Amino acid sequence: METKEHPSVEKKKITPDKCVVTGKGDWYFPLSDIYETPDSFTILIDMPAVSAEHITVDMRDNELIINGEVSQEAYAGEKIIHNEYNIGHYHRHFVISDAINRDKIEAKMSDGVLSLVLPKAEHVKPRKIEVRAE
Amino acid sequence: MNLIKWDRSDPLTSLTHIQREMGDLLDILSSTPKIEGYVNVEFPPIIVSINEESVFVRAELPGIRISELDVRVVDDVLTIRGERKAAVTDAKITYLRRERNYGTFARSIMLPEKVDVEKVTASYKNGVLTVTLPKAAEAKPKQVVIQKA
Repeated sequence: METKEHPSVEKKKITPDKCVVTGKGDWYFPLSDIYETPDSFTILIDMPAVSAEHITVDMRDNELIINGEVSQEAYAGEKIIHNEYNIGHYHRHFVISDAINRDKIEAKMSDGVLSLVLPKAEHVKPRKIEVRAE
Repeated sequence: MNLIKWDRSDPLTSLTHIQREMGDLLDILSSTPKIEGYVNVEFPPIIVSINEESVFVRAELPGIRISELDVRVVDDVLTIRGERKAAVTDAKITYLRRERNYGTFARSIMLPEKVDVEKVTASYKNGVLTVTLPKAAEAKPKQVVIQKA
C-alpha cells in the first residue's frame, strides 16, 4: 500500500476584519452554488457537521449573512491520528438586490447542505405580454 | 515560444534553445492549478481518530443520500464509495456560481489497528459520515495483573 501523504483540504480561513468573530474556534468559507430559475434564485452551501439549529441566517440592510457553528464534542476522549480537513465554523454573506422578495426567503438544511430559496420580486419575474390583433 | 534563426554553424546554440524550451515546458507541467475546493485532494477528506475501544473514521460528505454510499471493510482496509448527485438536473436552471463538485468517488484507507469486522457501524449525520470500527480483541490494551510472589 502506498504511504503517500495526502494533502489536506485547505479551507479558506476568514480573517477577523471581514466579520465579527466570537467564541472559540476558526471560521471558514464554505463552498456554494447559486442557480437561477424563472422565478427564484437558489443558494446551496456545503456546511458539513453543522446541524439546523446552529445555523443563523440574517438579513441586514442588503446583506444576507449566514453563520453555521460546529461542535467539537464528538472528538472528546479520542486521539486524532490523521487529519485532512479543518473543523470550524462557517460564515458567508451575499449582497441581495431589490430583485429579491425578502419576506419570502426560505432556508432548509439537509445532510450538511443549506439551501436558501430567494424568490424573485414580482416586478422582475419574466412576463409574457400578449399581442392582440386589432 | 521563440522563433529561432536556423544557424548551421553552431549546433550547440540550438541545443541551448531546446534546453530552454524544455525547461519552460516542465515549469508549465509541474505548476499546480490554482483551483479551490477538493480538486487536488483525495475525496472525501477524512479524519481518523482512536480511543481505547475503537477506531473512528469521519469523512465530510455533505449532500449525499445514504442509499448512494457504500462502506466496506475487508481485513484492515476500509473503502468508502459513493456518488454525489447534482441537486437539480433541470435544463431550465442557470448556474451563476459553481464551487461544489459532483460525481462518483471511491477511497480506501488502511486502518491503523486490527478491527472486529463484524461490529463495524456507520452513521451519517449533518453531512458527516462516521464509521466506528471496534478494535479486535488482540489489539485492545490488556491490563496485566501483577501477582505477589
